[in-house]
Amino acid sequence: MSRLASHAGQRVDHSAGLSFSFDGRPRSGLEGDTIASALYAEGQRTFSRSFKYHRRRGELCGCGQCANSLVTVDGAPGVRACGEPLREGMRVEHQNAWPSLDFDLMRATDLFGGPFTPPGFYYKTFIRPRRLWPLYERVLRRAAGLGRLPRRQSEREWRTEYRRRHCDVLVTGGGAAGLSAALRAAELGADVVLCDEDAEPGGALLFEGRHERARGLVVACREAGVEILERGTALGYFDGLVPIWRGDTLHQVRAARHVAATGTLEQPLTFAANDLPGIMLSGGALRLASLYGVAPGQECVIAGVDDRALERALRLTEVGVNVSAVLDLRTEVDGELPAEVRSAGIELHTGCTPVRGRGRKRLEGIDVAAIDLAGRVRGKVRSLACDLLGVSGAPMPASSLLLQAGARAQYDEVANVFLPKEPPSLVHPAGAVAGHETLDRILLSGAVAGGEAALALGFGDGEDRSRIEAERDELASRAAAPHRASAPAVAFDGRRGKAFVDLDEDITAKDVRYAAAEGYDSIELSKRYTTVTMGPSQGRFSQLGSVRVLAEETGLHLSEVGLTTARPPWTTVPLGVLAGRPFEPAKRSAIHARHHDLGADVRWAGDWRRAYDYGDVEAETMAVHETAGLIDVSTLGKLIVAGPDAGELLDRLYPNRMSTLKPGRVRYGVLTTEAGRISDDGTVCRLDDECFYVTTTSSGAGAVEQWFSWWMACWPELEVTLTDVTQGISAMNLAGPSSREILARLTDADVSNDAVGYLDGVELTVAGVRCLVLRIGFVGELGYELHTSAPHGRALWDAIVAEGAQPFGLEPQRILRLQKMHILVGQDTDSEMTPYGANLGFAVKLDKEQDFIGRWALEHYVDRVPAQSLVGFSCPDGAVPTEGAAVVDHAGKVIGQVTSARLAPKLGRSIGLAMVAPELATDGTEITISDGSRRIAALVQTSPFYDPEGQRLRS
Amino acid sequence: MTLEFLSPDPAGPNPPRSPLLDVALAAGAVTEVRDGWEGVAFFGDAAAEAAACADSVGFADLSGMAKLELQVPAQSAPADEFNARTAQRIAGGWRCPLRPTRELVLCEPARAELARADLAAAGRLCDLTSSLAALAIAGPLARETIARFCALDLREATVPVCGFRPGSVARTPGFVLREGSDRFLVMFGAACAEYLWETVADAAAALGGRPVGVAALPEIVAEPSHA
Repeated sequence: MSRLASHAGQRVDHSAGLSFSFDGRPRSGLEGDTIASALYAEGQRTFSRSFKYHRRRGELCGCGQCANSLVTVDGAPGVRACGEPLREGMRVEHQNAWPSLDFDLMRATDLFGGPFTPPGFYYKTFIRPRRLWPLYERVLRRAAGLGRLPRRQSEREWRTEYRRRHCDVLVTGGGAAGLSAALRAAELGADVVLCDEDAEPGGALLFEGRHERARGLVVACREAGVEILERGTALGYFDGLVPIWRGDTLHQVRAARHVAATGTLEQPLTFAANDLPGIMLSGGALRLASLYGVAPGQECVIAGVDDRALERALRLTEVGVNVSAVLDLRTEVDGELPAEVRSAGIELHTGCTPVRGRGRKRLEGIDVAAIDLAGRVRGKVRSLACDLLGVSGAPMPASSLLLQAGARAQYDEVANVFLPKEPPSLVHPAGAVAGHETLDRILLSGAVAGGEAALALGFGDGEDRSRIEAERDELASRAAAPHRASAPAVAFDGRRGKAFVDLDEDITAKDVRYAAAEGYDSIELSKRYTTVTMGPSQGRFSQLGSVRVLAEETGLHLSEVGLTTARPPWTTVPLGVLAGRPFEPAKRSAIHARHHDLGADVRWAGDWRRAYDYGDVEAETMAVHETAGLIDVSTLGKLIVAGPDAGELLDRLYPNRMSTLKPGRVRYGVLTTEAGRISDDGTVCRLDDECFYVTTTSSGAGAVEQWFSWWMACWPELEVTLTDVTQGISAMNLAGPSSREILARLTDADVSNDAVGYLDGVELTVAGVRCLVLRIGFVGELGYELHTSAPHGRALWDAIVAEGAQPFGLEPQRILRLQKMHILVGQDTDSEMTPYGANLGFAVKLDKEQDFIGRWALEHYVDRVPAQSLVGFSCPDGAVPTEGAAVVDHAGKVIGQVTSARLAPKLGRSIGLAMVAPELATDGTEITISDGSRRIAALVQTSPFYDPEGQRLRS
Repeated sequence: MTLEFLSPDPAGPNPPRSPLLDVALAAGAVTEVRDGWEGVAFFGDAAAEAAACADSVGFADLSGMAKLELQVPAQSAPADEFNARTAQRIAGGWRCPLRPTRELVLCEPARAELARADLAAAGRLCDLTSSLAALAIAGPLARETIARFCALDLREATVPVCGFRPGSVARTPGFVLREGSDRFLVMFGAACAEYLWETVADAAAALGGRPVGVAALPEIVAEPSHA
């Protein structure tokens, strides 16, 4: 065990123990531990195996940003142990090692496979012989990947949801700058949300001995009304929308202004064997000690490039860690810190840096030397014994969100990092991410950013404005350049050894050089070829290092190499979180429950749920022919067009004449585009002088309403109103030779053929329900379409069924309409078909006085042979072609297409519709349909297959 | 011929049914006929329903509310006088702005005929009572509940009482009216009723809420105004 004595600022509760298991063995930790801190306290040093070489990986960052400690927890893979809180009973397992974490056979790739697995090797190998690819694939899949999903679907399901939140100011990052910004903005009256990835806000303040200050700021923020989302990770910036992932909820935050206080990421140093367990970031070591009371090592050395290394060493000592030495790459170190370090009993070595890690399973010591500007050893190499090396390269701004928002990354020669510049006006950088390094500057910059964000939204007054301007001036005047050494691309002692720039992807400095030599010498190409920065930590600890190596190899300056494009998500996020609740808007008619009761096969038809059949398509079809059937057609689009100019409007929109309709009459209408192509069809019933009831196809309802609205806006001189009542009307089609009889039993009104003739529309009370009844027929038999207010739909349906009508579904309807060659727009027509091609020329009245939509095109087409004609066909051998099958000529060239095809039980044969070349559009013409491997002979028919004169319809 | 067939007929032999009635029954609703409509009385536990509206969130079916669309000629509705964001409280209902020439008038079913008579001279009326379903969502977590399926900004500073917003409600076109500090009226296409109920129920349940009868809803405090 390596627990330190309890001290202020710790998160763990020494009096509350927790039990869990790791790879089947019982382990214990404390309340407040992470999985990693608990394991570390029990002596665990190897947490995973690396991706390619299966080298041991130990704790690195201590805060859930790296991929060194990915484990599987209770079956869920890819959990970062150093960020995941420990819970009682957790079942933790290693990933990516077989048969065990301690003995992994795949380590052979590191020992022997290096020459065979250079960068991009998979582009050149495992290609031949091709027949072995299934084997290669199985082996590669087993060898690669990070964790396995549980096999059972039920174990992979969990509840996630979205929460939409609007606010005035969103502060991303809950360190000193973020808290300061949130507090200032809230004090000025803004509605503020703050998110932070950690278990509690406070950032570095928490483990650098300033936890009281951090907690005080948090309390002040809450009291000022700031909503704090701890453990909330901002995933990206999408034009002002920032999704924040927090457990099982994705908070979609839309803010008027953003403050980016995302801090910095301490960078590792690159040298041989820099991946040994025991080499971690100095911040990670300090977190372990300060927050979790775990000694990161018994003999610790800190190596860095600026004052941070000294500060960290002192803090570690304060909390009880034995720090034997600090290695500072700077040759001269000013200020009081060196003296403090020495007074604490720590050796301070300047002008030197680690050049090699020593140890087999874990760090046992390091080689240290002075280096030249190129990173090569100068002078003697000394060895230092240690079991913990805390490294501290330059603090790289965590600027991904800012860059996604539109800022530019610019290399700063003094800071030796890329700083975000020129942020968009709605985004305010604050704190370390903006290049501020001391605590007072960080706090001040946060206050200024929060204040400016709030002022920009109209909060605060003149006094506040003056104060913030003064603070901004103070910030500008207090700028002080950091005293920092420039870390080399690689500290190299001239001997062999892997020096990693990307621990996630096992990419060494040599790999980056190798790729550059092959021609992948820009940062974007290098990334894609080597996969550097493409691992789970997405370049947090590898991007700067890879840029340095590439700069050195190509001779370009770092600013010329640049960074790769910052893209969301900031962290790996489960797909379930992004999916949220499954919203699948489904429309159901008021009669839907009856279809369900009858055992209908319910399917999607556009965005409606419809009954396809009730279990016997043939019987349902025959019922319509022999007695009476009833189908729910509530999905039809229904529009009320009213006003003195309603008729004029319809005459302009339809090629047909609608203004001549008498009240109580119905007319078929086909709508065309400006180019004369069929876009929809339906019926128009005139209710009175100024009111028309328009129906459309089910899927076209919304588009037709928009189309009408558009043209009404173009013709404001027309006094007309339009209302969509599609969802408010239940409609049902009663059809069959007995339909009049049934209707007569349900109404007192006269429904004889004289009273309600074909294409009449009448108001009737049917079964006590007020209806608009249209005598029309899509299915070819005597029929009535009853339209009523949806709250009465079920009662009407029940009454009609009780009188003997048999419900029939969409599939029988399709057979019935096909017998009559009634088209389905969008199925039997395409974007090029005009009414003339679809045998609907009767619906075009070119002799109308008004101009109408598509007139100029239809005048062009009326006397021309259409490019394709829609014809009927039947197949003598009874084959039913697939819809979409091609019509071919004797040479096999495609000359048409089947649009609809069914077996018609009444006719005893298969029939269909097809678009064909016009020269084939005569009765009896033989055509050939190519349907997969079948060749089907068919005969063209241009008149309806059933009741061609329409006598049954008009009976 | 008239447009009477569009309107539900509470006086007829078949009481109009709310589009939400089936799902409400499945959730344990006890039904009644009120104002001629077959609707929900309560869900079997009046105390729990009242507590939900007081402590978390309750949602109730108000689909029987009359909804009349009034369209007026452009010359009688100058665009520069149009307030798109605020509904006007009337006795037993609301007048909700859609466009300068179009508004949605909401009222209790018992007042529907009176409303029709009052508005007939103002322009052309179309009864959308059957076209739109309505849910009242009320309680301290009402806004949180709506935030689970709707991206409209419903903070009180942005949408005060009487604030009215058309927009996407669970990915379907709808409207949200703030009837009170913690009470919202959400309207959407009647055909989407079952889908919206499930969506709201799911969101509310996750926050400790439940379906309630109308009696459990908090009173609307906004006074009728006379514009």
